Amino acid sequence: MTETPPDLLTRTTAKLIETAERTLNFWSRFQPPPDTELRRNDHLQTLVVREVRAEAEDVVSLTLAAQNGAELPAWDPGCHLDVLLPSGLKRQYSLNGDPADRHSYRISVRRLPDGGGGSVQMHQLRTGHAVTVSHPRNAFPFIGRDRYLFLAGGIGITPILPMVRAAQRIGAGWQLIYTGRSRESMPFARELLELGGDRVFIRPDEEFGFPTGEELIGDTDPGTHIYLCGPPPMIDTVRRAAQGPLHYERFSPPPVVNGTPFEVELARTGVVVEVGAEESALTAILREVPTAGYSCRQGFCGACRIPVLGGTFERNDHAMSRDGADRSMTVCVSRAEGRVVLDI
Amino acid sequence: MTAIEPTSVALHARDVQFDWSKTPVHWVPDEPELAHFYNVMHLLLPELELWFVQVFTDALPYITDAKVREDVLGFIGQENMHANAHQGALDLLAANGIDPEPYTSQVHHLLQGWIDRTRKMKPKRRKQSLLNQIAVIAAGEHFTAVLGDFALNSPAFDEVGTDPVMSDLLRWHGAEEVEHRSVAFDLFRHLDGRYPMQVVSMLAVIPALWMLWHRGARMLLEADPTLTPKQRKLTLRKFRRWHRRGLLPNAKIYLPQLTHYLKGDYHPSHYGSTTQAIAYLATSPAAKAGQQ
Repeated sequence: MTETPPDLLTRTTAKLIETAERTLNFWSRFQPPPDTELRRNDHLQTLVVREVRAEAEDVVSLTLAAQNGAELPAWDPGCHLDVLLPSGLKRQYSLNGDPADRHSYRISVRRLPDGGGGSVQMHQLRTGHAVTVSHPRNAFPFIGRDRYLFLAGGIGITPILPMVRAAQRIGAGWQLIYTGRSRESMPFARELLELGGDRVFIRPDEEFGFPTGEELIGDTDPGTHIYLCGPPPMIDTVRRAAQGPLHYERFSPPPVVNGTPFEVELARTGVVVEVGAEESALTAILREVPTAGYSCRQGFCGACRIPVLGGTFERNDHAMSRDGADRSMTVCVSRAEGRVVLDI
Repeated sequence: MTAIEPTSVALHARDVQFDWSKTPVHWVPDEPELAHFYNVMHLLLPELELWFVQVFTDALPYITDAKVREDVLGFIGQENMHANAHQGALDLLAANGIDPEPYTSQVHHLLQGWIDRTRKMKPKRRKQSLLNQIAVIAAGEHFTAVLGDFALNSPAFDEVGTDPVMSDLLRWHGAEEVEHRSVAFDLFRHLDGRYPMQVVSMLAVIPALWMLWHRGARMLLEADPTLTPKQRKLTLRKFRRWHRRGLLPNAKIYLPQLTHYLKGDYHPSHYGSTTQAIAYLATSPAAKAGQQ
């Protein structure tokens, strides 16, 4: 709190706010706020697998629809579904069907035997099985422009496919470079060639080697909007080479690996939370306090910062420091030794 | 251009890096007073934004809709980044002998005092007080979206040779305001939505913002040691010139927006362009530097 006494302007503004607040409080006695329990909505839906199709080596496409054939929430190119697997895992898959089809969704999954197990479980789904999914979410918004360069690597073609179709439909200038390990491993290649002809360059690494950003971008006009989806090394190389506008999907923050377990004491309740080696303090705190604030989960925005009352912690964040930042822990990335006491 | 506009965007904070080493305090050539009129942002907005963040974080336990909740979390991160970024520009003022503290401490006192009072209240009053603040923020966010839209559509800034880092700050901030323009209003509608709340809060926001902004501008003009007495005055003639040159949005932009907000069927998504905002964010030098 400031020591400075309020000046005339602050007092006037405060008076104004106070008057508005008093009016609203008085009037709220006659019309109370609505009961938000009636507005509870988890935005989840249980759909049924209508079709399973082998798309390419280790890739299947799943067509999902409502049990009763009802209309599904609309989506735009770039949208994905969060799929909640029976094992409790949550995975995100891009919608790659036709947005005009309001009665089914299509997603495609590459089987990664060494992944976290999500794709293996997805490959076990058969026609008739039920799946719980979120409403379509858009973390890769596709915007109307005159010219596009689409760059897709392997299964990264899935969000790009509806974008290519939309670009074709609106008559925009576009090109697609589609990379992958081998032709057999690349889904939708034939469909894309039929759609775009010589606008589409299928570029398997087996024949051309791993691509560099410079090769992929070539002499693209700097005003062209580049839409990119592929494995992290591809994103890095393109990001370094791109001069013009570049869009790529932001995935969830990287998982914590090889951390040291520690404890967080929540001072306001006295509860002690165990932070595991492979999770962030934020994840552990949210189990106990689901309404704690956070946002970027990558240590830069500072929304999850909590004042530290005791214990030692390391600052692995790069959130810009304001008052008191040095005594606060950015719990989405910072770790501690032993036990740290937080004012929450 | 074409009719593709994303209907909703999963909001996320973007890391940004601004390099202020080459930016002058008077970053609009030949218009030091206008630069200061805009410099008020660096004083006022971080205080407002950190207040938004506290109110919205305190509102989290009341939210029962997963989508509203997700939007609010994205909003909190973006507003925090805005506050941080303006803080950098504020240091630029301090380095040029302008002490913003007398003003910022007043604004801090006002807003922090409000949320601190709320936090001490009993549950029922506390909720009503939070709803009051959310209604006021929703009304305020309508104006930040209008200003953001102006920043994205103001070629005049480039034509007069405005400092590129400052233009980028204005437009990056403006673009994210346009991108998240529905969040505060959606939260208001989810938790509250009572029409009189909408009207009274807007009627309070307009004079409050106007007073705070002009007070900030006068304070900066007084504190800048390099200005002449004539330059320290904000005259109507200067405002007319800035409006004419397209460097400041005028009443023709504000007033219709006010009546829009007071309509019963108002929704922020009807105004401004998400496409334009995302197109700018894909090119913003600060946003690109933040991704490295």
